[in-house]
Amino acid sequence: MALLPEQFSQLESLAETWALPTELQRSERRWAAGPDDFRRFYDAMLPVLDQVLDYLDRYEPDNVPEPALPLYRLALAFAEAAPHNELYDCSNTVPNSFDAHRFVAAHGEIRDR
Amino acid sequence: MAAAADQIKQAMPFTTRYPELGTGPLDVRPLIDPELFELERERIFKQSWLYVARAEELAEPGDYKLRRLDVANTSVIIVRDRNGEVHAFHNICTHRGNKLIPDQEAQSLGHTATHTLTCRFHAWTFNTDGALRGIARQESFADLDKSCLGLKRIHCAEWEGFIFINLAEQPRQSLVEYLDGMADHFAGYPYHEATVRLRYSTVLNCNWKVALYAFSEAYHVPTIHKGTFPSLARLEHTEIKCFGPHSTSGIYVPPVPGLEPTPVTANLGGRLRTSDRHRPHLELLPENINPDNRQDFQFEFPVFFPNFLLHLGAGNGYPGMAYFTHQFWPVAVDKTLWEGTNHFRPPETVSERVAIAHTNALHRNAWLEDTSTMEDTYQALASGVLEEMVLMDEELMIRNTHKHWHDYMGI
Repeated sequence: MALLPEQFSQLESLAETWALPTELQRSERRWAAGPDDFRRFYDAMLPVLDQVLDYLDRYEPDNVPEPALPLYRLALAFAEAAPHNELYDCSNTVPNSFDAHRFVAAHGEIRDR
Repeated sequence: MAAAADQIKQAMPFTTRYPELGTGPLDVRPLIDPELFELERERIFKQSWLYVARAEELAEPGDYKLRRLDVANTSVIIVRDRNGEVHAFHNICTHRGNKLIPDQEAQSLGHTATHTLTCRFHAWTFNTDGALRGIARQESFADLDKSCLGLKRIHCAEWEGFIFINLAEQPRQSLVEYLDGMADHFAGYPYHEATVRLRYSTVLNCNWKVALYAFSEAYHVPTIHKGTFPSLARLEHTEIKCFGPHSTSGIYVPPVPGLEPTPVTANLGGRLRTSDRHRPHLELLPENINPDNRQDFQFEFPVFFPNFLLHLGAGNGYPGMAYFTHQFWPVAVDKTLWEGTNHFRPPETVSERVAIAHTNALHRNAWLEDTSTMEDTYQALASGVLEEMVLMDEELMIRNTHKHWHDYMGI
């Protein structure tokens, strides 16, 4: 059973690993990603970012129905991962930074934020 | 001598406006001495007004917030009673001293639908205005005066929706008197509309002032943040003013020629910058903030003594960000709970929420850059090798905090 609407089927394999419901889970995915993971995600997502967001904008932010949640989670994961492509040379850490694992997001357990 | 004075004035135009602060180096000992830390508990944290909650966190009667205050060896309940009034109490049952509400976290929110708080030890029950309401098997207590056994009250006051407490028996000043010129300088912005709060925290192995001082200047920005915010390379830290123990300043970011926003930042940040709700709202800034109405205004950046920083950007700095705050809560001489919270207006669309997640992620990453120096700084200072630290002009807010730290401490 596909996770994403048919027009985004090319993102399906990304959704399988990145479309996670909480910031904490998405962060753990980011911390485990290698440079190729970031590149694949970015190269597939950037060209369709507008279409993905247009699709999601038919829903209220607090009322995204179950079938659209994987796409929504994928968009959130992309927003959080893209800086690694655009600024950190596809490294999974922020250069010269504090240990991200020690940084607690108080809202990190809240779903779909 | 006159030539030397002129040279100092030229090098330090902001600092020399406050001759009482001097221009010399600061002593390092307050940042590392365990005995001074013990005195700070009494002389600073039990004497100052401390920011503990936003009014929106207690939006409805019955809403409460628990705030652990290790520095004062206590835990505080801030609660809105059934008439809408906000009270603060020590989180302690007046029977035998159990915590009325368990506080595993440094801060947490709750709600009581019955407008009562019941101790889980012996079921003593208190109203949210602090009065003792019910005692299980009251007939078995002798000479009990319930009116004397209400919750232990803490002074509590609200300014612009920021709720402060003061642990002193009798605070020396009201909150507004304490805030000095800051009360007017920051008044009038619709802080209450920024109800989306994304908070991060960590325990840093450093003294609270090492963390506070690192966040109290922008001299570090071009070096520390060249990874996440190369656009800040030409940042100006200006309009630095002191109001008693507090200080404030303006941050402006002239564009860097040839530096274009990256594609995702252009897309997602652009969505917030063009949405009526999240776009820059310079017109909402209090009149003395960004007084020249500069379009490159990033944020107004103050230090509220002793441990609260508020950055007011009105959506003009980081895309969509109304304001953000930092707090530095001492746990031990070498341990500090740091909390940073990004405040946004609520998203109306899913794409706005995604864009907010992007701004938030970038800012979180910048905080990871900020916090990377603090434990190193503390370890190095704790060696005692450096007895003094020298400051440049734009590190004036540190100088002001340090001077008032000495005044509060009486040393």
